[in-house]
Amino acid sequence: MDVNESIHAQLKKAGVTLAASLPDDWVAPLINRIAADNTMRHVRVAREAEAVAICSGAFFGGVRAAALMGATGLLTCTGELATLKLRHQIPVFLIVSQRGTIDDHRIYQEVQGRRTIPLLQAYDFPYHIVNSPDEIASIPDAYETCRLQKRPFVLFLTRKVVKGDAA
Amino acid sequence: MRAREAIEVVARHRGGAVAVCALGMAANEWWAVTEGEDAFYMHGAMGFAASFALGLALSLPQAPVWLINADGSLCMNLGCLLTEAAQAPKNLKHFVVDNQVYQTVGALPMVNQGRTDYAAIARGAGIARARVIETTAELETAMPEITAEEGPSFTLLRVAPETGFLRTPPMTYEGPEMKYRFGRALEKRFGITVFGPQGY
Repeated sequence: MDVNESIHAQLKKAGVTLAASLPDDWVAPLINRIAADNTMRHVRVAREAEAVAICSGAFFGGVRAAALMGATGLLTCTGELATLKLRHQIPVFLIVSQRGTIDDHRIYQEVQGRRTIPLLQAYDFPYHIVNSPDEIASIPDAYETCRLQKRPFVLFLTRKVVKGDAA
Repeated sequence: MRAREAIEVVARHRGGAVAVCALGMAANEWWAVTEGEDAFYMHGAMGFAASFALGLALSLPQAPVWLINADGSLCMNLGCLLTEAAQAPKNLKHFVVDNQVYQTVGALPMVNQGRTDYAAIARGAGIARARVIETTAELETAMPEITAEEGPSFTLLRVAPETGFLRTPPMTYEGPEMKYRFGRALEKRFGITVFGPQGY
């Protein structure tokens, strides 16, 4: 089972039936896989904050949802994560590429690498980093923690996970 | 048409619709007129009540979902129209109260004031049922059709700006209380589970 198949399977195990997404190149294969699943509603959005708010609405419909995006997209919606999710204590589970790490040599990801986690810490948003395929099984627990903490929870996928050891 | 008059007519035709209100003047008027528990009032994320309403409509197809939006909020997230059109939820109706100003901060003018055709933008995004309504008489006539037609629909309510600050107060519930009040109301009415056995 490849990693995207595993992540998809674990999301289903967590009860997720709606995914809202805006791709970066690392999460694109996972998004393609979810889009092909007729048992999961997939919502393509034009801006990442839309995905955050769609998941909030889905929460009140009794549907478990996840927002998928790149690290840059996460930075674009911190205002909405604070004023919608923190203000109302609504959980949202975000799956985000962890860009700008030492093995990601894209110049336009370097700020994301330095400032994303300090930013989450400043907002007191919990996060969990999945750095190997055998950690993908933690997704249902991470999802439950998100519900329990009643706030945004970021599950980071590292380059090693999405690209493999050879990358 | 005044904002209060437009909201009164829309609210009178809402039947069992669940409302999602963008933060601001239109939400305050909806609260003043309805005071119901089956409405969610956003405390922030200006522009994204539309996305919240879409997520709710997709997740609860048995519920008519009415979005009470405003021109300032719509302009912050015009992309919401593309997403609405793509998902095409039959149970979603999008109302925009358009007074062409940022009313709650003192009626400062909207960007491109007076020159934007929001219904044309909605049609261009792929929402075929899009209209502009300018008078209460016109709204009274149109509401039965708006209520009966399949979503997604887009109805722009052209209202006059109020002079200075609009004094209608916002709804009286704090953020977390709004969450539980709305979620429990939906659980009771639709037999769904929003909160787990431990209440979160």
